[in-house]
Amino acid sequence: MALLPTNPQWRGLVLLAIIIVVLGVLPWTVNNYWLRIATGALMWAGLACSWNMLGGYAGYINFGQSAFFGLGAYVTAFLMGDPFGLPFSATIPAGMVVTALFAVIIGAPTLRLRGAYFAIATWAFAEVLIQFASAMDFTGGIGGIGLPPYLNERFFYFAMFGTAALAYFLTWALFERSRFGLKVKALRDHEPAAEAMGINTALVKLQTFVLSAVTASVFGAIFAYWVTFINPKSVFGGDITDQMVVMVLLGGLGTLWGPAIGGVGLFVVNRLIWMYWGDTAFYIAILGTAIVLVVLFLPNGIAGLFARRKNDALDKVMDKLVGTGAGGHP
Amino acid sequence: MNGGMQSAADPILSVRGLFKHFGGIKAANGVELAVGRHEIAGLIGPNGCGKSTLFSLVSGMVMPDKGEIRFDGRAVAGMSAHRIARLGLARTFQIPALFDNMTVTDNLLAAAAEGHWQGAYERAAETLSLLKLDHVADNRASDLSGGQQKLLEFGRAVMRQASLILLDEVTAGVHPNIRKIILEAIARLREQGVSFLVIEHDMEMVRNVCDRIIVMDSGRVVTSGSFEDIVRNSEVMQTYLGRPQ
Repeated sequence: MALLPTNPQWRGLVLLAIIIVVLGVLPWTVNNYWLRIATGALMWAGLACSWNMLGGYAGYINFGQSAFFGLGAYVTAFLMGDPFGLPFSATIPAGMVVTALFAVIIGAPTLRLRGAYFAIATWAFAEVLIQFASAMDFTGGIGGIGLPPYLNERFFYFAMFGTAALAYFLTWALFERSRFGLKVKALRDHEPAAEAMGINTALVKLQTFVLSAVTASVFGAIFAYWVTFINPKSVFGGDITDQMVVMVLLGGLGTLWGPAIGGVGLFVVNRLIWMYWGDTAFYIAILGTAIVLVVLFLPNGIAGLFARRKNDALDKVMDKLVGTGAGGHP
Repeated sequence: MNGGMQSAADPILSVRGLFKHFGGIKAANGVELAVGRHEIAGLIGPNGCGKSTLFSLVSGMVMPDKGEIRFDGRAVAGMSAHRIARLGLARTFQIPALFDNMTVTDNLLAAAAEGHWQGAYERAAETLSLLKLDHVADNRASDLSGGQQKLLEFGRAVMRQASLILLDEVTAGVHPNIRKIILEAIARLREQGVSFLVIEHDMEMVRNVCDRIIVMDSGRVVTSGSFEDIVRNSEVMQTYLGRPQ
């Protein structure tokens, strides 16, 4: 007997409901240590989702996404400190506006580039922000900037959970279920042909870039308030973007749930290695091995394994093993 | 018989003194032509004579160095491709330029996403039926055969509800059954008032489908006329077919 409904849509809804319920009760079932890991996992799942909007759906590989994460973090830190002393909730929209402005200014010229040229341009932008934040007094320079502490792990857990849920809902609604998503995917697959279909590709790319950037900035704002101290490397660092890229590639580029799978999976593995070995250098080796294996054997990422394909051998195997009723569905 | 300007008094497309040079290559070297409303005009010429470049210039994919392009009464030279498309011009590419990772249906819907969304799902279903692609509607475009890819690209142009469609070797290398489907669709669209400019090397198809033939060579239009006029032209036959009269 099947454990889940055989109708793919109902099966998806039931799985989603189970995930939401589990995540909703999690803070009352684990200690603070694991709650912090769960909070981080949700943040990375959300950040990977933000990167996937442009990198996965539009096909523009952005190596400067940490710039927007950092902008959100710095705007929150700046506005919560002296002399402004604004409440946290008021700093988020401010960070979104600042990030959107930067995204338009940077995106308008750089989105004319493609491939490695675009990747290098965005990477350079993040590097410029590191140098800027390191040199300026109002950002606290290289020493960084502190925020008023708020010691409520559940608040940050639900802030990350809510933002990640919203990011995935937006991705589903805009990229999977709307005309806008068709335009974005069309330009990814063949930009001149998309232009020939009347699609203003420059505008659609810019809209996607801004959405992706603003999403990352919200996570940056929550992160800054959560950790209570930031410096240029901790929020603008290139390794932040690198992780997002790897998470999306592992999970499934241009898929809805791939970034969640990659984000949660890699972050939890990272924390477990740190917990048992206390040295994350081993994590880099595992990461490298995982990338090689995925590139060789799972070019569509882990999410690609679950893609519905007629006569898919995996479906038949899964059907026999766990009775999902997946086998034979188109 | 004269140059490519021979056409109706109120052409849907007119090109005058169009130049485009790529370094030393004169891809368009003073092109003059017109396509009448409801007309199917064939564009022939040897490989490398500038036919596909002309399509790119007219559709805004490539900016001209000089010259005038009027589409439906509006000057469009130098206008971006998406703006020209929104005015009612659709095109296909010599090598099918599909949205490979999207399904066949989504390819058709994407073509209607800008400006023609009303009733897009119904029209996509009709187009799938018209082109006999119903059975592969949920397949990825990259999984289609070469002929089916040509059909799908033609279908996307149909979804644009265009008044002029530029077809770049749309039946080249396809199975006779698929060619028949495309030709029937062209005939049906013409009845609905759509005009066509068709690049084609298959003279049988040119003879059967086109009202008028425009001949290009070395980046310019050398002559135009009926199929019979063209085959009687010894200069054209020598240039195009390499056959001495």
